[in-house]
Amino acid sequence: MVLLSVVAVGLSGCGGPPAANPAASGEGSVTETNCGIEVTVAEPPERIYALYQPAVETIHALGLSDRLVGTAFLDAQVVEPYGQAQARVPYVPDLPQREALLAANPDFVLAGYNNVFATSGNEAIGTRAELAELGVRTWINAPLCPSEDGLSDEAIDPAQVSMDTVYRDLNSLGRLLGARERADELVSELRAQVAAVQQRVAGKPKPKVAILLNDDDGSYRVASGIDFGSRVLEMAGAENAFGDLTGKRHVAVSKEELITRDPDVILTSTCCDASFTVADGEPDVRQIMSDPALSASTAVRRNQVYPFLFADRAAGVRAPRAAARVADLVHPE
Amino acid sequence: MRGNRFALRSRATAPWAIPGAAALVVLAVVLSMKVGARPLSWAELSDGLLRFSGDRSDIVVRHVRLPRTVAGLVAGVCLGLSGAVAQGITRNPLAGPDTLGVNAGAAAAMIAVFAMPGLGALTGYVWFGFLGGALAALAVYAIGGSGRDGATPVKLALAGAAVSALLTAMTSAFILLDRDLFARYRYWIIGSLARADLITVGQAVPFAVAGMLIAVLLVRRLDAVALGEDTARGLGVRPGVTRGGGLVAVVVLAGTATAIAGPVAFVGLVAPHAARALAGTAHRWVLPLSALLSAALVLLADVAGRVVIAPEEVQIGVTAAVLGGPAFLYLVRTRKVAEL
Repeated sequence: MVLLSVVAVGLSGCGGPPAANPAASGEGSVTETNCGIEVTVAEPPERIYALYQPAVETIHALGLSDRLVGTAFLDAQVVEPYGQAQARVPYVPDLPQREALLAANPDFVLAGYNNVFATSGNEAIGTRAELAELGVRTWINAPLCPSEDGLSDEAIDPAQVSMDTVYRDLNSLGRLLGARERADELVSELRAQVAAVQQRVAGKPKPKVAILLNDDDGSYRVASGIDFGSRVLEMAGAENAFGDLTGKRHVAVSKEELITRDPDVILTSTCCDASFTVADGEPDVRQIMSDPALSASTAVRRNQVYPFLFADRAAGVRAPRAAARVADLVHPE
Repeated sequence: MRGNRFALRSRATAPWAIPGAAALVVLAVVLSMKVGARPLSWAELSDGLLRFSGDRSDIVVRHVRLPRTVAGLVAGVCLGLSGAVAQGITRNPLAGPDTLGVNAGAAAAMIAVFAMPGLGALTGYVWFGFLGGALAALAVYAIGGSGRDGATPVKLALAGAAVSALLTAMTSAFILLDRDLFARYRYWIIGSLARADLITVGQAVPFAVAGMLIAVLLVRRLDAVALGEDTARGLGVRPGVTRGGGLVAVVVLAGTATAIAGPVAFVGLVAPHAARALAGTAHRWVLPLSALLSAALVLLADVAGRVVIAPEEVQIGVTAAVLGGPAFLYLVRTRKVAEL
């Protein structure tokens, strides 16, 4: 009974929507706004659950690996130098069900994709407002903010899918999680990496690159102009051959459209396993190279179809390195 | 399905029905070769077919348009015939390969293929769908044919519904438990000509021809069976043998279409109805007309899928239902559908 009431006090102490909870916004508390929702913590969260690649890597990069009580759904190996840190934290390949997530007793859930907080869909663990009532603070990596709680990918503002949003998000998370200095340092590192790539490719002609997802029926989808992959290509001194398509992130184009647009370079979008490295994209490359419909295209004839990871198209801490890799491929010295 | 015996309606066949349907197929073939994301001139089209040099327009003709068109033709003919035979042997105007468990069996088999690592990498793995459909139909026939009276239309339909429900539940359980499996299944189940390649279609042609031959051999027997069990026996036709042979034809034809294009719903249902609307109920007209109309519908649906939201494509499973739905409703409203 004593234990129960302690739990109850604990819950009410940090429960409820943050704005309606004056107790939590007392001295020492921090309030940050994420996707239009105010998130207030009295003290830096200690038990963090990170869902999806960008979220997991964000926590490691902020130097908070030891606070992770759970990680889920990686698209590829965690970017170095965080591989060892990731090996020490709990990981499940599939998204946890609501029960399993709450059983880990997190006080903060960071999502690298917005569908977990959607009102519909079988990946949903509850909306952010619902989780706040349980005392669980939530955050979505800002480039993926939907316009309203409960909405998902269709409600992203493409203009916010940028490196600047990544930087702002890191600073904001750093303040909330009590890692302000590390966040500043990280943002400077990332800015420097991006600047180095941009300097290297400045003034060079921009090849047309297509980022392909190999679908199981032998057809392809391409990353569109509003996908962060386009920003990665731009940083790397290239342009997306399908950059003018802006209706949604992935577009199922016909092979004829691919032949007609004739990209100079094709990148795969290999995904989703926590063990994947770039080398795991080779089967996708072979499939594209052996597709008779693409045999006359420039990228195939010049042998410029390269393995690439879906994870390297995410708006997060690995983006500058992804841009550097693309720059190596499209602007070899 | 129907208790009453009904006479074969000797409705005069519209003399233009077969040539008209054939002309529609030719038009659909031409459109399928001509229309697409990359504009092609007539000269480029003929060069691609006759003087292949490997440039980009030739590639589009040979490796995109031609496989799709041939695949659409073969799959369409198979779907139309299998629907007509299925409706004939079950005397059920709603029958199709799915009534006999073929689609559910094919889907369950594909799930097994997708779930087993390595198997899905085989070329021609689509033939597992064929096998699954055949096994399911065999089960339906065995269950529906047991007991007194043998495989009557009602018992076949009920056995088909039960076997389909069982297999569909198993398939659903697997795909709901495994996201990756669901992702692969999703692409297969919708039905599409985008995956068509001439090698698979080439492998499919002997099966299509075999199915057509069986259907042709059954033409007169199907007419007799349509008159009811007793009349058929009186005419010297054994209904059980006809149903067994018809079931083989349905499985082979529907399995072939599924191997080429995935399970395309609805076409096999609507084409025989359209054929009967034009030519009456004699199977010597219904079978060829249904085959031609179905091929035209499949090809036109594919062409429509290429243009409606270009540069994206809509799968044929979607467009065929959208195009065929209103046509079917029109037929339902304007004539007695049950006239088999």
